[in-house]
Parts: sequence; structure tokens; C-alpha cells
Amino acid sequence: MKMTGIIFSEMYNDELNAFTHDRNMAAIPFGGRYRLIDFTLSNMVNSGITNVGVLAKQHYHSLMDHLANTQEWDLNRKNGGLLLLPPFATENFNQIHRGKLDELRNALDYLQGAATPYVLLASAHTLCNMDYRPALESHINSGCDITVVATKEAGGDAPFAFVLLADDTNRATACALDYPASAGSYAATGTYIISRELLIHVIQEYTAQGAYDLERDFIQRKFNQGQLSINVYECQDVVLRIRNVAEYFAANMSLTDIKVRRSLFRSDSPIYTKVNDEVPTYYGMDCSVSGCIIADGCIIEGNAENSVLSRGVRIGKGAVVKDCIIMQGSVVGEGAKLENVIVDKWATISSGTELKGLASAPVIIRKGVTV
Amino acid sequence: MIERKKDCIAMLLAGGQGSRLYVLTQDTAKPAVPFGGKYRIIDFPLSNCVNSGIDTVGILTQYQPLELNDYIGNGQPWDLNRNFGGAHVLPPYTKTSNNQWYKGTANAIYQNIPFIERYNPEYVLILSGDHIYKMDYNKMLQFHKDKGAECTIAVITVSNEDATRMGIMSTDANQAITEFEEKPAHPKSNQASMGVYIFTWDVLKQYLVADEADPESENDFGKNVIPAFLRDGRKMFAYPFEGYWKDVGTLGSLWDANMDLLDPKDPLDMRNPHFKVYARNYASPSSMLAPGSKVTNSFVAEGCEIYGTVENSVLYTGCVVEAGAVVTGAVVMPNTVIRSGSSVNYAIVGEQCVIESGVTIGDRPEHCVGGEWGISVVGHKRTITTGTVIKPKEIV
Repeated sequence: MKMTGIIFSEMYNDELNAFTHDRNMAAIPFGGRYRLIDFTLSNMVNSGITNVGVLAKQHYHSLMDHLANTQEWDLNRKNGGLLLLPPFATENFNQIHRGKLDELRNALDYLQGAATPYVLLASAHTLCNMDYRPALESHINSGCDITVVATKEAGGDAPFAFVLLADDTNRATACALDYPASAGSYAATGTYIISRELLIHVIQEYTAQGAYDLERDFIQRKFNQGQLSINVYECQDVVLRIRNVAEYFAANMSLTDIKVRRSLFRSDSPIYTKVNDEVPTYYGMDCSVSGCIIADGCIIEGNAENSVLSRGVRIGKGAVVKDCIIMQGSVVGEGAKLENVIVDKWATISSGTELKGLASAPVIIRKGVTV
Repeated sequence: MIERKKDCIAMLLAGGQGSRLYVLTQDTAKPAVPFGGKYRIIDFPLSNCVNSGIDTVGILTQYQPLELNDYIGNGQPWDLNRNFGGAHVLPPYTKTSNNQWYKGTANAIYQNIPFIERYNPEYVLILSGDHIYKMDYNKMLQFHKDKGAECTIAVITVSNEDATRMGIMSTDANQAITEFEEKPAHPKSNQASMGVYIFTWDVLKQYLVADEADPESENDFGKNVIPAFLRDGRKMFAYPFEGYWKDVGTLGSLWDANMDLLDPKDPLDMRNPHFKVYARNYASPSSMLAPGSKVTNSFVAEGCEIYGTVENSVLYTGCVVEAGAVVTGAVVMPNTVIRSGSSVNYAIVGEQCVIESGVTIGDRPEHCVGGEWGISVVGHKRTITTGTVIKPKEIV
């Protein structure tokens, strides 16, 4: 394989603080049994990348716990495998990471020691099931300095982190940060392919000048100076971007959409995760469940509608859970009524409690809390 | 040099065909038969070993071993990928002389004496891959040591009727075995052998060598080795086990054991987080219960997509129940698709089957008169074409 994989487990401009008090972005639970990082990591493995560095900034214990058994991703290897790269303070460099370039500087030794000509940089918060190999081929054929994996957009007012225009040879002609994507423009997925040599050079040169933002300080600036050619590779698979609570909520809810399910979960390229050895889920005598995504180990005796229930969730008799995300091990007591609520792990909703949020602003119950 | 040694290693007899499971073991060994939504039968003894602190397991295979070998792999799902010890699949192999298959359970162990001696164990635990139960073998081993036993046989209390179909132990007040009868017409006790033995290895080894030298012997633990121990007055004890234990050697008992998982009292203690049953995982997504689906009193594993109705059933990993399909009292094994308008009642449907539209499999007991009712069974990888009716008791 010609690529080394680098995964950023933070995104620096997100609004997911509600879930990142005691875990980093990559470790946020998703879809009943996954953590966000599972998608990018599985894509790398399914694309034949066996050398993966995961960059972490802070409170990465949850991520370490999740990735500890690298065997689940087949990354328990003598040659390569998975390496977690937490901050490494030195005399000259001891500040907390401000951006992806800072993190990459931290991984300089790792990148210098890697044996591949190319590096794939990817974020954990963009979920899709894609094969990176055709993207690499496109990168090599384009002769460009960097390839940006992006989705073609139909237009709209919502801003994307990184938007590009491209000509008919897929070469970028303009790029903008935090900008709406007009019809036919491309929204980047945070996935880049670049030669290892150029990347190492960029990290050394730019961080020496105090730059730390990968997109703003390197890609956009250098492109605007006419010194960087960008190849845009269109990803045609379903892409779920998760930068804030509303997007997180909507992405979870979209999993009952059969088009999304078929695109994200494919038997020829499975999404791997940490195995928990829970028993299958038990559905009770009087339960009613409709339009739900449900992991193993649950006991459901109440009613659930349009919700995502993670491993080991219990829904008591007479409880009604509608448009909710209930994370691992949480208990919804008998007769409780929840609508548009996100319950983090190991929380307890006492019997008879009623909570109601909005789809655009769900109520969030913190990890381990009893309500 | 001081050799590394193990206190106790396990030998799991997994070579049996399980002929009374008919189509379900046509192409696979009985221990590899799926059970309980996401498990295979062998997951139970393997998980018991690990949960009992036994990290070395020799798995003796013979009949249709391909699927079983693949399933065991390096033993990682059970934490049996160990540097010293771990899971080892042991098929019969050719030697410079005397090439042979495993002739019987005792002969299978005899042929693997070199494997056992690599670990220089004090005790050897003999298991079979035929039963669903959770048991701490370490407690039994402690019993064996406390009694100063040379052979300990785990026993469970059964009804008089069941006793006539099993190996029955009579014991004195100290649990010492005084008599052993195989399938007695008039059982003298209700303590039945569970097929779980602990032997003090150097004693067992002598008996295996002697048994092998006896041309009259069938080389079987129950028929030859245990009676020989008893005849010689060896120190034999019965270890009473309390808890759920089921022989799933017949289609009926396999169906029953699956249905026991729906008991809210959880007799098998499946949810004990300190004694989990481990299984190989196939990275399926969470299950999807579509709008309009109706699932009640059922056990459903991951990777399923349900649009229709499922009641009183166990659905294994990756099954699809289309809209308008009804599944009642059924055991549906992994990756089987039940198309719209079909009904599956009181049945076992094997792995990777396609039940096309408008098929009727089985029936409810209340719809059948006299002795006509029984579960229906569809073997693995079958396609049942539109309009087919499979009657109760029918095996396809």
C-alpha cells in the first residue's frame, strides 16, 4: 500500500462540547454501537492501509480504551498497525495543539519513519463508507500537489468548513472557508491525499512560522499564492458531516433511511468497532418499536419510535421514547416520556419523568447523570 | 531448567456429527451449530473455560471441521490467543505408523497425549461441544483437589424419565461414586453425568494407554475408561452442578433451549457481566426495526432488518423479515431472508436461507390434532420457493 493514514481525532471548530467533556470528538458514540472514528478507521483498513496514526489532543482515555484492541480493525501487525499519537511536549514545543498543523508537527517522527510515498489525512467526524484507493489513483494521475476528497453540492445557505470550485478536469479554481456551497461546487470532507515528502516539508516550514491551521494557513494560503495545485476527488457515497449537535442528531436519525444504511453498512466493506460481547436484544411482551436502530444487549419493554438505542439500553414498561438517541447502558424508567432527547452513556431517567426538546435543539442528558 | 506448566488444561471433544440434528449438521460439526442469536454451541464451553481461568484448550475435531476451524481461528474472540496455551484445533493426523481417525472419545485424547504433555498439567478437564450451560470449572477443580480425587464427574439432577436416557451416578454421602450406569431402564439415582470430567493427568494417562492396548475396548470414556476407573476402585467423585444445563443434541431440545432465552427469569444467566459468553463477531450494524414492524417477546441479534411481525422468536445476526411476513415461535439462524407474505411458525430455519414470498413453514400446536405437531426444520442455505408449504415435523 502506498499510503500511510493519519486520523485527526479533534476538529477544532466544532460545537459538540455537550459530548466532549470527558472524551474527544473521535470517541463520540454513534449509531448504536460505533464511535465516530470507526468509519474513517474502517475505510482505511478496507482500502488496504495498514499503517495508521491517530492524532489526539486531550482527554483521549476513552479513545484509547476504544482502540486498545487494534485486532478489531486487523491492525495488530508487526509491520505497521495502529499507533496513537498523543501530544509530545519538548522544550521547544510544549503548547496545547491549536490546529491540525500543530498535531502533524507532533507526528513528524512518525511521518518521517513511514515507508509510504503518500499520506492520507482524514478527520473522524466525517462519516462515509468509501474506498480511498481510487482517490489515490486520481491523485497520482492528476499530478497535483494535494487531493481534496469532496462531495458535489446542490446549493443551499448552510456553510461548509471548506468549499471549492473546480474546472472540468477536477482542478480547483477557487476555495473558501466557512462558506455556503453553491450548486455544483464541492464541499471538502476533511480527507486529503498528499505526498509524504511534501507534507513533511510543509509541516516543518509552516509550523516554524507559527502557522497551525491546515486548511487556512497551508492549503488556502498557498493555493491563493498560486503555489499549490489542488485535485478535487468527488466522493459519491453518502457522507454524514458532524460538526454540531443538530448535525449529530440528524445523522443518527438518518440511519433508518435505507439509502443511508445501504451506503454506510456494506458487507463487502464492514465498519469495525470494539466488540462488547453483549447478548442479543430482548423485546418484551408489550413493547412497541418502530423506525428504530437498536444495538445488542438492550431490554425493551416500553415504546420506542424513530430512535437510536445503543448497547445495553433499558426501556421500562409504559415508557415512550420518541426521536431520541439513548447511549450505552442508559436506563429509561417506567412510564417516562422522552421526545427529542439525547441521553449520554450510563444515565438514568427516573420513572415518570417527561423531557421534551426540539429536533434543532435536543435536550441533552450528560453521561452518568440521574434525572 | 524448570519447565513451564499448567495446573489444568481443557480438551474439548468437538468431532461428533450430531446426527440427530439432521440437516443442521449435514455440512458442519455439531459444536459449530448456531445458537441463541449470535453464538455457536462451542462458545459456551470455550467461554466457560476462559471465565474459569483455563487458558489452554485443545479442540478435537474430526467430522466436517472446516467451519469449526474457521470459527475458532486463533482463539482471539475468547481471549484464547495466548503465547503459552490458548486454543489449538487438533484434528487426527498421519503418523509413521498406525494412521487412524479418532476411534472414540478416549482414543481421541490418547492420540493427543503429546499435545497434553507439552503443558505438563496436573489435571485435565474433558469437555464436549454438545451442551448449553454456564459453569465455573474452577469450582469443580477445587472440589477435585479437596476430595483428593483422581476422577471427578460433573452431575446434574434430572427427572426419572430423563435418567433413563443418560449416564447415571450413584454416590455415597461423601459424593464418592459407587456405581455408574449408562441409560438404565430403572435408574437408581437422579444424578446424571454432564459429560464434564476432571482427571488427574498421570492417572488418566495410564488408563488411556491401557485402554488403547485392549482390542476389545470401544475406546470411549463412558463405556470403557470410567467403568475401568470404577472397577479398580479409583478415587471417583460426583460434583453436583446447579444451574441451567441442556443437551441440544436433538432438533426439539435445540428449539427448546432457544426458547428458554425468552424466559424473563433468564435461567441461563446470559446477562451476567462477569461471566459473559464470547463469540466471534462479524461487524454487522445495529438492527433496524422499520416503521410498521412489530416485534414482541423475542431475542434479536445485530444486523437484522425487520419490516414485518416477529413474536416469541429468536432471530440471529443479519436476518431480514420483510413487510407482511410473520415469524412466530421460530429460531431463524444467521443471514436468512424471509420475504413478504410468508409465515414461519414453530420452526428452525438454518443459516443463509431464502424463504420466498407466500411460503408457509410449520404450524401452531393448537392447530394440530393428536401427535401431528412438531417443529419444522429447514436446513442451511436452502431456498424455499413461492407457495411451498412445509408441514409441522417436516425436515427440509
